[in-house]
Amino acid sequence: MPTDTKRIRGPEVSHSLSRFVCKPDTTSLPSDGARADGRSRDQVDVRPMFVRCGLVSQAKGSAYIEAGDTKLICCVYGPKETERKDETDMKCGRLFADMRFAPFACPERGPWIQGSQEKDLSLMVLESLQSAVCLHKYPRSQIDVNVMVLENSGSALAHAITCASLALADAGIEMYGLVLGCSIRQDGDSYLIDPTFLEECGGCQSSGENQGSLTVSFLPNLNQISGLQSDGEMAEGTLAAGVRACIEGCYKLYPVIQQALIKAVRGAGPLPIES
Amino acid sequence: MSPMKMCFPGDKLCSIDDCKPGTGVHMRHSVIYSSLVGYVLKKNEGEELPVISVVRETEAKLLPDVGAIVTCKVTSINPRFAKVHILYVGSTPLKDRFRGTIRKEDVRATEKDKVETFKSFRPGDIVLAKVISLGDVQSNYLLTTAENELGVVVAHSEAGGQMVPISWSEMQCPHTHAKELRKVARVQPEYLHA
Amino acid sequence: MATVQLSEAEKVYVLHGIRDDLRVDGRSCEDYRHVEIETDVVSNTDGSAKVTLGHTAVLVGVKAEMAKPRPAAPEEGYLEFFVDCSANATPKFEGRGGEELGMELTNTLYRVFNNKHSVDLGSLCISPGEHCWLLYVDVLLLQCDGNLYDAISIGIKAALFNTRIPKVLISEGEEGGTEIELSDDPYDCVRLAVDNVPCMVTLCKVGPRYVVDATLQEKACSVASLIMAVTPAGTCTCMRKVGGGSLDPESVFEMTEAGKRVGKSLHGPLVALLSQEESLGKKRQKVGFLG
Repeated sequence: MPTDTKRIRGPEVSHSLSRFVCKPDTTSLPSDGARADGRSRDQVDVRPMFVRCGLVSQAKGSAYIEAGDTKLICCVYGPKETERKDETDMKCGRLFADMRFAPFACPERGPWIQGSQEKDLSLMVLESLQSAVCLHKYPRSQIDVNVMVLENSGSALAHAITCASLALADAGIEMYGLVLGCSIRQDGDSYLIDPTFLEECGGCQSSGENQGSLTVSFLPNLNQISGLQSDGEMAEGTLAAGVRACIEGCYKLYPVIQQALIKAVRGAGPLPIES
Repeated sequence: MSPMKMCFPGDKLCSIDDCKPGTGVHMRHSVIYSSLVGYVLKKNEGEELPVISVVRETEAKLLPDVGAIVTCKVTSINPRFAKVHILYVGSTPLKDRFRGTIRKEDVRATEKDKVETFKSFRPGDIVLAKVISLGDVQSNYLLTTAENELGVVVAHSEAGGQMVPISWSEMQCPHTHAKELRKVARVQPEYLHA
Repeated sequence: MATVQLSEAEKVYVLHGIRDDLRVDGRSCEDYRHVEIETDVVSNTDGSAKVTLGHTAVLVGVKAEMAKPRPAAPEEGYLEFFVDCSANATPKFEGRGGEELGMELTNTLYRVFNNKHSVDLGSLCISPGEHCWLLYVDVLLLQCDGNLYDAISIGIKAALFNTRIPKVLISEGEEGGTEIELSDDPYDCVRLAVDNVPCMVTLCKVGPRYVVDATLQEKACSVASLIMAVTPAGTCTCMRKVGGGSLDPESVFEMTEAGKRVGKSLHGPLVALLSQEESLGKKRQKVGFLG
């Protein structure tokens, strides 16, 4: 594990306060009834989302997403000359994705250096976007996608994928379609769509059947699943139902994304060509 | 603002029988789809099918392509080639720097074997060139100036003055009247831009 | 990743074969290649296994060490995974070349075992909050010929089956502290319940169909595959799509169903084989790495 020697570090061992708090029995989810934020179970009831494009003026394209308390920002740079010349395919461009959590994004402080979990998530973001970008139109060049999670209140990966594809569209990178992400948390027989952080973590504690989470990235225009990742134990039928629920969730988010893009295009000013 | 149709990546625009694909679109199964967020633009160009493209206010096409005329700045020279940074493609400024190479053989069309790079370019010159290849793994973009219209357009003398062209191979400093050798371009009006 | 270059004609040949359910090596779409398993191959480990699947060879070693339980789960032990892509498998892995693939495989393994039922972590606890067993599961890729995930998961299941953890006694010390006492008898050990350890199944989408246990040639024809970790009961503990392509929802559903079917049927013969090997005891003929 490499350490950052230039930074003044805290003591070797420190603990988050939350570890000493007596835990009331909120870690296990209420088995039925409404969820903590008033949404109901088993319904494709995604959190209201706030989306905006073009916040970062230096970047080619950028996007910001806020869903509940989950907040993330994404910037796209490029196409620019490739840095790694060794294995580049000359006919095709390359996409690089990087997803990071701010150290203060989660209840417990995280490290500055990218951990293996973040690398795994970066890979997932990359694989979800790769099939959507027309890379053959960008020979000899690379496109960088950077996602920063400012506040993690659940479903960070799903929103990161949405945010990244939005930033790519804002950057004017040619794509076969927009990619949207949605996740569910399976809790026994019912599912919770777009789970909050508490709902996401609650699963590790309970030991019943069908406890797991699932993230799907989906291209609504092409009806294609570009990314899929599940965790925890789920029966095959439950899994299939979960995928369907996620797809439905993506369709629900699609108009919101479209509106944000319309606003971005309109806001940038009139067309250069007289029409 | 005119109520122009807005489209998103992956939106179906029309069949290939109705329109010809322009920029910002892609084709699949003989149907044209949008690949950008922007306005749908149909342009009639004479007798043929109209060209359909998706445009935005920001210019999307930003990569040097084979055959494109580029404006570049010479960064270094050696007896075999000159290294340049590509600054513009057509009249679009590039956001990121792309590196290119003008080999000795590609400087002019005639008497290729007698070309000497330091008599054609100097570091700091602004050169119009054409992309001939995207290059391979080791090399950068390969450029050529082997046309009358291509070559040095802006150059500074040793004294620092901006030189004026006096022939296809010479430029003169307005202050010292010293002559320096360059591969000078006969600038065409359509390539002129700010 | 070790890859092969295929010409268009070769791709068409592979594709047409798969369409007609007859693959280049004569298998049908849901067949595995010949699998060989040998356990207890490295004497310095607490459990080890070597698996060859076609020309893919994987060596798994399990070492148990005593550690402090994680603060989040004081009454459980834990597992640490590491997949090493050594340059033995392909020169591309030299230096840091194999790091990316190793990271991907390692992270997937953590996901597969991130649930309550795969391994009984409670049995790895020695004294709550103080001591527990930490199992280091190290995977070494010796040869790559496609389908690494499946080979690794079979190897891990076999190695965990083979793992013997020494028995440890905790007693009150004279000065009030606890004392740890290791049993003198080396055969006095605890075994791990591996019934619920899942096996991974990789379904490679080639053309309109999917294949199980794809060779490198078949992998070159495919743009996306689905990895599923399936327990003997048929539940799925991890699923992920790998590769740059995308899949349509209908084929995803088809593939999960097939993955469950194939994964479930993998466990029976595997466990039977492992117990059969064990029942041979000392009479077992060791093959080692020359087999």
